[in-house]
Amino acid sequence: MPYDAMNDRGDEELLLAFAGGDAAAARALTGRLGPRVFSHAMRMLGDRAEAEDVAQDALLKLWRIAPGWRVGEAKVTTWLYRVTANLCIDRMRKRRNGPDLDAVPELADEAPSAAQRLQQNARAEALQNALNDLPDRQRQAVILRHIEGLSNPEIGEIMDIGPRAVESLTARGKRALEVILSGRRSELGYEDDD
Amino acid sequence: MKTMTDGNKTNTPEGFELDSFFAAARDEEPMPSGDFMARIEADALSALPEPTRVSTSRPGLWQQLLQAIGGVPGAAGLAAACATGVWIGVAPPETLTEYWEQSAESEWYELDPNSGFDFAMLEG
Repeated sequence: MPYDAMNDRGDEELLLAFAGGDAAAARALTGRLGPRVFSHAMRMLGDRAEAEDVAQDALLKLWRIAPGWRVGEAKVTTWLYRVTANLCIDRMRKRRNGPDLDAVPELADEAPSAAQRLQQNARAEALQNALNDLPDRQRQAVILRHIEGLSNPEIGEIMDIGPRAVESLTARGKRALEVILSGRRSELGYEDDD
Repeated sequence: MKTMTDGNKTNTPEGFELDSFFAAARDEEPMPSGDFMARIEADALSALPEPTRVSTSRPGLWQQLLQAIGGVPGAAGLAAACATGVWIGVAPPETLTEYWEQSAESEWYELDPNSGFDFAMLEG
């Protein structure tokens, strides 16, 4: 969770304050959840403009349901991941003509060395392109488990499936990624690593 | 040179390590633009429900008086005591009249509102 002025207050507490008309809570929640939702949408869709649209939609839905939020029923982030992923999957189904291979996550500048950085960028880009080729549910499970770092039960809650189904999806997703990425092994600097 | 740091590595038969890709993706977290952040903050503020209104005005004089005597139950008790006093004055019970006559014999009980002392004070 990024640091903000209300770091001592949980997402749910801030959402309830938002529902009570607290503008400071609205700003804190935006700063905290906006980047997270955007990042997840970006990894799911591989396209910045679409990811921004989806993240904006997901947050608008959160603001709308805030006054009726049922305390203790679900984590705010779990709810948001679920809504974001559903919006992403809707978009992916609509644009079945293939992902935009130019759309990859933007790269930060700090680096231990230019060569290592380039290699890392290349791997992140290659992974994003490989993720774009996975079936929707496998992609969602792999991103949530291996990039966002969520637990299987939480992913199960987001995807509305059991933890064993999550394991199965992530395992199949990883096998597919390995097949796709191993074809680019030398291109991605794996000779250096071995 | 090994760059992988994760303990739970995923290896293909050729030694291909998928975890390094995940690690690279985690390090390269997509960052939202400033425009996007401004847009979602504007959305949040425009969707903000009306603040819950809390009355900050002071209670009125009657409300304060009522609170001072213990609210409605206190006022009811006070009214009942007053009514009883008036009733006893208008139609005193017989037992009380008898007691009054007996105790009237005691000098201390006779109070003269126009006592000599008061006149002395008025006349200077």
